[in-house]
Amino acid sequence: MNADKYNHITDQELLAQFYRDRDNELLGVLLQRYTLLLLGVCMKYLKNEEEAKDCVQQVFLKVIQELQKYKVEYFKSWLYMVAKNHCLMKLRDRQGKIPTEINEKLIAAPQEETDTQALVQNDHTLELMENSIRELNREQQQCVILFYLQKKSYQEIADETGYTMMQVKSHIQNGKRNLRNLIEKKLKEESKNT
Amino acid sequence: MQDKLKDILSHLSTEIDQETLLLYLQDKLSDEKKHEVEALLADNDFASDALDGLQEFGDKKQIAYMVEMLNRDLKKKVEKKRVRREKMKLPDQTWLYISILIFLLLVVLCFMVIRRMKN
Repeated sequence: MNADKYNHITDQELLAQFYRDRDNELLGVLLQRYTLLLLGVCMKYLKNEEEAKDCVQQVFLKVIQELQKYKVEYFKSWLYMVAKNHCLMKLRDRQGKIPTEINEKLIAAPQEETDTQALVQNDHTLELMENSIRELNREQQQCVILFYLQKKSYQEIADETGYTMMQVKSHIQNGKRNLRNLIEKKLKEESKNT
Repeated sequence: MQDKLKDILSHLSTEIDQETLLLYLQDKLSDEKKHEVEALLADNDFASDALDGLQEFGDKKQIAYMVEMLNRDLKKKVEKKRVRREKMKLPDQTWLYISILIFLLLVVLCFMVIRRMKN
């Protein structure tokens, strides 16, 4: 299985080729692209290195079996959901609890970008964003400015602010989400007034 | 300033290669490159979750080895299935069909010759 010769081929094309030829080698190439990410996701949920490794192997098998049965449109998001659900099932077996299965995005398309792209092209939106940043709480404001406007890394921000790396990451993610909500709210209000 | 503001809401390329992610984990990237990786991760739930998990590994240098082992195992799995499938395939029997056809033609020819000789 020489994955290098498939480097120029996208996931979508590889998958289409697999559905045409039914050659599992192509699935091997496709899955190899995500081994590291799968290992990370499994580790995040299971918190155990050996279990995470086993889990990745089980996900590989599951994917090979499932893809023979039905067509998947967006491989990456589907694979992510398969891995998360598999980890949740393992946790349920381990703890005897029933965690919520993630179904909502099982065959979901990648995040819709067109709306956001339209938003950022608009100068007025950027003006709103500049104002909205000031409305974020202090931690989020600080981290968003340092990360997006001053292009600093999480580590640099952590060193400068005294927050942990995880806190920095969380403030940036929450700040970004709140910023988007604030802008959408302001745009809605403006359209109501006009 | 405006270009930087655009980065907050835009989803540019969210792909991140495994080698870069490994270098990030081993703290072998410059601050500038680290920021690039983190900006990509902010728009990529899969990679972001993965990074959270990968950071929990005790020995980050072992991760590349584990990935290699997992890939090797995967390779065996898909090859095994391919070999099995190839074994199940019937061998190429073109020559057998051609021989049968020639034999049948000869039989018909012989029959016709014998019949004509009798007449």
